[in-house]
Amino acid sequence: MSAPQSRSARGLLERYVDSVAGRLGAGSGLRSALRKVFPNHFSFLWGEVALYSFVVLIATGIYLTLFFEGTQSEVTYSGSYEPLRGEEMSAAFASVMRISFDVKGGLLIRQMHHWAALIFVGAIAVHMARVFFTGAFRKPREMNWVVGVLLLVLALAAGLTGYSLPDDLLSGTGLRIIHAVILALPFVGERLTYLLFGGEWPGTDIIGRLYPVHILLIPALIVALLGVHLGLVWRQKHTQFRGAGRTETNVVGESVWPSFAMKSVGLQFMVAAVITAMGALFDVNAVWLYGPYDTGAATSFSQPDWYIGFLEGSLRLFPPWETRIGGFVIGQVVYSGVVIPSLIFGILFAAPWIDRRLTGDHDEHHLLDRPRDAAGRSATGVAALTVVTVLFLGGSQDVIAGTLGMSLGLVTRLLQILLLVAPPIAWYVTARMCRVLAERPGPERTERSEPIYRDSGGGYHSGPLVEKEPPQDHEQVPAEATGRST
Amino acid sequence: MSERSEGAATGDDPQENQRAYRAAVVAFAAAIVGGVVAAIAYSTDDTDVWLGVGLAVALGGIGFGLVSWAKYLDFDEHVVQQREPLTMTETERDALHEELTTLPANSTTTFRRRRLLTRLLGGSLFSLVVGFVGPLGSLGPKPRGERNRTGWSNGVRLVTSEGQPIERATGGFDQLVTVFPEGQIGRDDSQVVLLRVSPELLTERTVEAGSIDGWVAYSKICTHAGCSVGLFGIDTRPPDVLRQLVCPCHQSVFDPVDGARPVTGPATRSLPQLPLRVDADGYLAAADDFDRPVGPPTWDEG
Repeated sequence: MSAPQSRSARGLLERYVDSVAGRLGAGSGLRSALRKVFPNHFSFLWGEVALYSFVVLIATGIYLTLFFEGTQSEVTYSGSYEPLRGEEMSAAFASVMRISFDVKGGLLIRQMHHWAALIFVGAIAVHMARVFFTGAFRKPREMNWVVGVLLLVLALAAGLTGYSLPDDLLSGTGLRIIHAVILALPFVGERLTYLLFGGEWPGTDIIGRLYPVHILLIPALIVALLGVHLGLVWRQKHTQFRGAGRTETNVVGESVWPSFAMKSVGLQFMVAAVITAMGALFDVNAVWLYGPYDTGAATSFSQPDWYIGFLEGSLRLFPPWETRIGGFVIGQVVYSGVVIPSLIFGILFAAPWIDRRLTGDHDEHHLLDRPRDAAGRSATGVAALTVVTVLFLGGSQDVIAGTLGMSLGLVTRLLQILLLVAPPIAWYVTARMCRVLAERPGPERTERSEPIYRDSGGGYHSGPLVEKEPPQDHEQVPAEATGRST
Repeated sequence: MSERSEGAATGDDPQENQRAYRAAVVAFAAAIVGGVVAAIAYSTDDTDVWLGVGLAVALGGIGFGLVSWAKYLDFDEHVVQQREPLTMTETERDALHEELTTLPANSTTTFRRRRLLTRLLGGSLFSLVVGFVGPLGSLGPKPRGERNRTGWSNGVRLVTSEGQPIERATGGFDQLVTVFPEGQIGRDDSQVVLLRVSPELLTERTVEAGSIDGWVAYSKICTHAGCSVGLFGIDTRPPDVLRQLVCPCHQSVFDPVDGARPVTGPATRSLPQLPLRVDADGYLAAADDFDRPVGPPTWDEG
């Protein structure tokens, strides 16, 4: 037996790690994993925020499944919300009412789930914008860009199915629109709606079918792709901004253990804290005000969740076009609900290859561009964001008209014009701004020969970076690392 | 491979370290209080606000505490690590290709020769997929023209969602009511908006399509994306008084005095009109079913 002394010299943490790593032969691998370096920049946090709101979604979602009933069987409401008592509704809606009013703490969890979903998609969008505008999607990370866009699509699908499950008036309306878009698909449309809805609209199957999709299929796919996404980041190492000592062949930052891990776990708790506070303080999706889905009922100012807004806007702003080809019809919803979304996501998927084609840049990149370094790409990104923003505004054109006291037709027409005019203007202005910024005597101002450190008290000061090689000046950075304007 | 350097040697400032330490202490203490507040809130049924606020403080305290702890331990380090090259060298690539295509030494063939086998494998996988299409087809029946039939036919009374029939003589002008076929209240494809306007306002074709004394009835399902066309408005601004049926989803506007033709918005087709008659007891009834499918069109409904 080994001497008891050496045993007691090991702390709890060491003993635990020994017992696991010692059985997996993972000692040296674990050591190098703990020493892995992650570069530091505030804009790198958004992906983490998305990840951590997903964790909250899973946790709150599991709680909700313990109460939610995914069926459309008719029940008469007898819960404690007075205005709806005695009304006929689906078991799904009744169970959401129960969670909201009769399960102690249920409303908090439900609202946290909804807020977390809104933040999840938002964080993904901001993260994607960061990746795009800094050129982080370039070789060798094209694959991870595609995985990321897939994750965005899955997040939207999760949101859409989740929005539909309570079977309230608005969710039924949303499903109705999806039904119409599928119905209009050439050749397979009507058959496909019958397969999805188990027959004619609305049927009694759709909620029961969306339920496993929402709580099993989509989350499982998200978890799998998240594994790939993070695995690729781990394997290929994170990108970094230019700066003293930072080259295409190194990573400068903090190591996983303990700095990165401790701060990142801290961020998980902070994200959860914000979502919990929002769930406690701000109402979201107050389905009891909309009431159960009811044939023939409709509400004004009906709006989807924010991330579906651009699709809603496309349906609203696209002109009333119908194309007839030999007795067959391509209707307005095919253009606005299929063609335009396909274009948007198709371009998103293809972004790395489009960028490569336009710039002729086939090199590997680990140093990020600042947006100004790639005027063409930044301008294109802002133009694309402008398109999505105008579509988003179009999704609530009735609210805009009501607020501004303008006629609905005028607002619609203005937004249609804006959709055509604003993106080129945004492109030109952004390109111009990038060039002006890039021409300024930048390197001394923005890329310092000495790094700035933030110390533990929050103060900033500069000093020499302690490493073997002397800090490199901007001019000495290898050619492929310098900025290039398109 | 990597080397550590204590970033800017900030650890020499004991005061700042102390501040981070105190922040961590306060944060963790607050977290404990938050958890207790949440527990008290739950047991006193105050779950509206204080349960969530308590939990948020607990979570936020832990998060802030962890980050402060990291700062106290002075983790603002800068480590430089080399990237291993991701691209393959020529030699590596050749070796990999060799591994992929080389068969055991005693084999007499190569991978590429057997086209037939490759194609058969592809074909068998495809037929496997075809075989599994069957069970997927069980998800829903085949459409059998249900879109062309609703609950309306000659003589079926119009009733409100409470089951009230509509008397020919009742009702003022410009009131909108949602009606269903008698005995089929809530049937989705048969929802109808019934409206009475001053008879001389109606266009000729609207009257011919089956209006009675200014009563007109249209399918309530929007021909754009299928929402219920639930809003009726009168625009009294000069020059003309305009009556409008509006779909709240995508703001398609239909003209109820002219066969509900689409006026503005994304809809391309008018709402199907339900021909009306008066039955023996003086109540409004349908004279026939709609003359075309209701709701958004399919691709072959030119």
